[in-house]
Order: sequence, then C-alpha cells, then structure tokens
Amino acid sequence: MTDKEKECAELIEKSKEVVRETFKKFKVDDLAITWTGGKDSGLGLWIIRQVCQEDGIKLPKVMTIDEFDVFQEIHDFMEKYAKEWNLDLEWCRNDDVIKAAGGKLDAPVKVKDLDERNRAELKRIEFEGEAFPFEAESYTGNHLMKTVEFNKYIERHNVKGIFQGLRRDEQAARVQDEYFEKKEASHLIPEHIRIKPILHFTERAVWNTYQVYKIPYCSLYEQGYRSLGAKTTSAIAEPGVSAWEQDLENTTERAGRRQDKEQMMARLRDLGYM
Amino acid sequence: MKNVVLLTIDALRQNALGCYGNKKGLTLFIDSLQDKCILFTRGQASGPYTQASFPGLLTSSYYLEYGKPRGLAPERILISEPLQKAGIVTAAFHSNPYICGFFGWNRGWDTFYDSMEDEVEPRIPYIRGHIINTKVSDWLSSHVSRGEYKPFFLWLHYMDIHEPYMPDRKYVDMVEPSLTLRQDEMFNLFQNTLRKRDVSDPAKVAMLKKLYEIHVRETDTYVQKFFGALEKLDILKDTVVIIASDHGDEFGEHGGLSHDDKMYSELIDMPLLIYNLSRDKGEVCDTLVSNVDIPPTIIHLFGLPPVEAFQGHPLLPLGDYLQNGVFGEAIDQRSQRGGDIEKDIYFYREQDLKVIYRANLDSWEMYDLKADPRELNNIVNTSPEAEGLKGKLKPRVRRWVT
Repeated sequence: MTDKEKECAELIEKSKEVVRETFKKFKVDDLAITWTGGKDSGLGLWIIRQVCQEDGIKLPKVMTIDEFDVFQEIHDFMEKYAKEWNLDLEWCRNDDVIKAAGGKLDAPVKVKDLDERNRAELKRIEFEGEAFPFEAESYTGNHLMKTVEFNKYIERHNVKGIFQGLRRDEQAARVQDEYFEKKEASHLIPEHIRIKPILHFTERAVWNTYQVYKIPYCSLYEQGYRSLGAKTTSAIAEPGVSAWEQDLENTTERAGRRQDKEQMMARLRDLGYM
Repeated sequence: MKNVVLLTIDALRQNALGCYGNKKGLTLFIDSLQDKCILFTRGQASGPYTQASFPGLLTSSYYLEYGKPRGLAPERILISEPLQKAGIVTAAFHSNPYICGFFGWNRGWDTFYDSMEDEVEPRIPYIRGHIINTKVSDWLSSHVSRGEYKPFFLWLHYMDIHEPYMPDRKYVDMVEPSLTLRQDEMFNLFQNTLRKRDVSDPAKVAMLKKLYEIHVRETDTYVQKFFGALEKLDILKDTVVIIASDHGDEFGEHGGLSHDDKMYSELIDMPLLIYNLSRDKGEVCDTLVSNVDIPPTIIHLFGLPPVEAFQGHPLLPLGDYLQNGVFGEAIDQRSQRGGDIEKDIYFYREQDLKVIYRANLDSWEMYDLKADPRELNNIVNTSPEAEGLKGKLKPRVRRWVT
C-alpha cells in the first residue's frame, strides 16, 4: 500500500465510523442523503453505500435539488448512477416559483403569483418587495429554490437525520463544524440533525480517494470545473485541466462559484444594497 | 519598463484631500507626494457608486453599456486581461463585494483577492486597510524577492472610508481627541440617520461627516504604509502609482447622505494623482478627464498597443490628451429590485458646464460649476449652451432600448 492509499483508507475509515454511529442513533427510514452530483456529496454517498453493503443495511433515501438551472452532464450522471446503484432518489423542485417566472431564468417573479408557503418563506427572510428576478445570483431566488425545498423535503418525509457532503477546508466558516449538527426547529424549519461524514477530507484527499477507489464522477470535472453549482453561476477554474490536476493548495476552490453567496449578499445588504 | 499600481480608495471625496484644498490636514502623507505627482483638478467618476463607477476604472466602459447590470458583462475587457496576455504579472487586493469574483471581476488576474472567503467584523462588511496592506506586502515580497522579477500591475482598494463610519479610537484621537462617541453610538448613527438618509438634524449630519473625515485620516496612514512597503523593497523608484477614488460621499449637500443615484460634485469629483518618483517636479493638470481614461493610461505606461474596446484616452503624455466631454450614468440601486434600470440618471460635462438628466422623470438640470460650484442654481432653461450639451448626452440615454 502506498502512502496515498494508506491516507485515503484512514480518511474513509473515519467517515465510516461517523456513518455507523448514525445508523446506531437513527432508524434507516428516518434518514436521508443529500446528493448534488458534485464530488463531495458523491464521495459521501459512495462511503455510506459501502457501509450499507458491508453491514447489510438498506441505503437511506436520497434527495437532490433541481434549481432549474442544472448542467445536462450532472443530470445524466445522476440518472445513470441512480439506476446502477438502485437509489431511491427524489428530485425536489420549487415548481411554484418556476411557474411564476414563466419557466424563464432572469424573468421577474411577482410575489403575489406565489403560493402561501413561498410567500411565508419570503416573509421569513424579511423580503418585502413586490417582485424579484428568477436568477441564480439573487438571494431570494436562491432561498426559495434551495433552502425551502430542503426544508420541505425534511418535513414531507419526517427526516430526523440527513447526510451532507460538507468539508471543513471548503471555507473558513466551516472550521468549527462538527460531524453531527443539530438544527433546532423554528418557523418553517423542522428539527433535524445534519450529518457530515466527509468533514475531515481536504479537496486534495477527495480527489485522491476518487482515484484510488475508482469512484465515478461527473465529466465536468475533467473540463476544468473545480466546484459545481447551478449552470449559469459555475465557471471553469482552469480550462482543459482536470480538477485534480489543478493547483488545489494555492488557489481557491470556489473561484468559479460561491456557495457562500449568502455571506456575500449579507455584505452587500450591509453596504446598502437591497 | 516600470511597474504600475492603481490604488483606489472607496468613497473618498476629492475635497477631503489637502492637495485639493482641504485645510483639515487629513491626508498629510498623500499631500507630501505632490512634488512627484501630476494632480488632475477635474477628474470625474463615471458613476456615483461602486457598481456604476468601477466599469470605468477597470474596463474603460460605462455602467449601462449592456443594459441591466448584473455581473461583469463578458464583452467588457478588464485592464488585467490585456496586461496578463502581454506577460505582465497582475494582482488585485480588495474587499468590495460588488466587484468580487462572483460577479466576474476576477478575469485576467494572476492573483485575485476579494476577501469573500474571509470573515469580517460583525458590523463592518469589509476587510480593513491594514489587512489589505499585509496581503499586498506579502505578495510584493514573494514576487519581488531578490533581484530579477517580471514587471507587475497591482490594483489595491481600501474600503475603510465607506460607511458604517465606525473608526477605531486610535484614529479618532488623531483627528478629534475630544470626541467621546462609542462604537455602538456610531453604529446607531449609521442605522438611524445615515441608512434612513435623514438629514433633518444638522448636528447628526456634522457628526457623520466628522467620522468620515477620521476614516480619511486613517486611510492616509494605509497609503503611507503601502508606499513604505514599496520603498523597503526598493521598487518605489521603478513603480508608477495612480491614486483615485471610485466616487465621493454626500453629507446633505443635495438633501441626502451616502452615495445614491445623483450626479453632483460631492459624488462625481474624483481625486486623481499619478505618482512617479522620477519626476523633477509636481504638476497640476486642469483638463477635464474621466475615470475611463485610467485603463488606457495604464496600457500606455506599459508601452502596449491601445485596446480598441477602451472608451477613454491615455492621460499621458499630458499634451497629447484628446480633450472631450465626460459622461456618467447610474440607476436607482436602493430600490427593492436591487437596481431599477427604469430609474436611470446621466450626466455630461464640458469644461465647467454640466447637464444632468433623469430619464424616468424626463427632467433636465444644468449647472455652471465655476459660478455655482455647489450646483444649486439650475440654468437649463436660461443657458444658451443647454441645447448643445443636451444633444450630446441624449444618444447615451437608454441606448439598450432599440
């Protein structure tokens, strides 16, 4: 075994411990896995599946959020493996918002065209306008398409624990994260536990693991994407250079994309932008 | 070939600087550079706030060039792009979210720091100037270390003058030691007076202005530290430094605070200095120039062929500058829609005459800045030159509507 293989095996072992602890704490039917088609949640799913196969446990149900702005490559990749791995996969989409936008990105969404739940959610984030653009950069649109669908899924399936593919080295704000994070119930958000089995992986270790264990990944990473999100807000970090061949240590993973968009929007609001 | 630095300072009013006539001694260091500077007395920003002005400063194009402003349009060329192609090392350090990588401003930079991954203080949504300086110094030392290095273009931007106007005690003491306002009181003033654009109490407006001035003093110390870093590496003599602001700030001059969609001098007049240690003496240039002229000037300083897409003209050599009118444009960015392109405003200026047009109200203003520097006396209906200036502005109004 090379040093690299040994390191990957140790990291996976740590993740498996977290997964096994989860299965001790929760009934399988109370659990769910988030999967975006990206490298992190993909690795998490692969590890959870390993544990299930080794321990003879049913794989928990899987959810993914369709933001209406999805790369075809991601969609195809997910469909393929959902079938191959026999996943109980649910695509969650806020159709009410899409309908109000006339099915077009950038189109204005009038608040009065939305259903009660979406209007209540807007109130929760203190949005007071009459309309907002249906675009990936908009804080409001992002909230309704992602956060709301996530919360609705938890509620619909009475999920007690949900696996997420977050990593500590993704951003400074995650340094303090724990493997198990309790989310208290609040208005429109049911109480649940977020489980982060690959928290200790670095971006480099993720790719090493994909390589060592020949885990399937979406082809976009070969084109130079390092981080995948919505189609119109993700950008190639280095054209033609596979993600794992890029200078991961000295450049930013999220240069092409921002999941911490909300942080940015918060700063914009503090600067006076509505 | 010399290196070029573009040092921009957010929300710095032209008349806050000693070298532009301010008597309060807020910028003693910048003032001390004057014998090695060209100082432009009539520099104009192409917009009254960051999003409207930075397309001029970094892409030599105008804010509404491509209709509704979202991220940086792919058609725009950032100054970093042609420089990087020409083999010049490009680096940017700033903390203004409007011009962060997410909106596309990271194109063409070998190093691009926008602070978006870093934590900021709870009430101040940006990284302070001393941290920008540390990052810049680290980058400079790693790039320049020992002898041979590739020429570079460095852009750095200080945010500290920008509201919420909560200066540290250290800087308060430098300007107004008797001021006893605590940080939470400053924040209250920001929340309850500035954010509400409430100018009804002159004492509060005066206090906001005082806090602003303290930040100007603070920023002068950052500029001094930055020059110190260049000197320490012995590259100041090999570096041209352009100093400018993106826009100014209002303290009730036209009924408002901060920097909204207005085109008056307190927001549009831009300090502009070109520092070059090799100069024999300082020079003052009274020609009307725009921030869109800065990118072509940088191209000229590197001896590169002009970039066709750039709409400005090189400021150097001074005598060759093509004198023209200057434009600016903006929209109401405080609307709930996060920027209402239906509420657009434009200005056009020639010499000391300026016309302003609000398209949604179809209203014109005109001011003679020489006779009426505070822009209080609208002469659009009486000036014989009004029609000529209006005619030059009109083609730019709502040009995205065809």
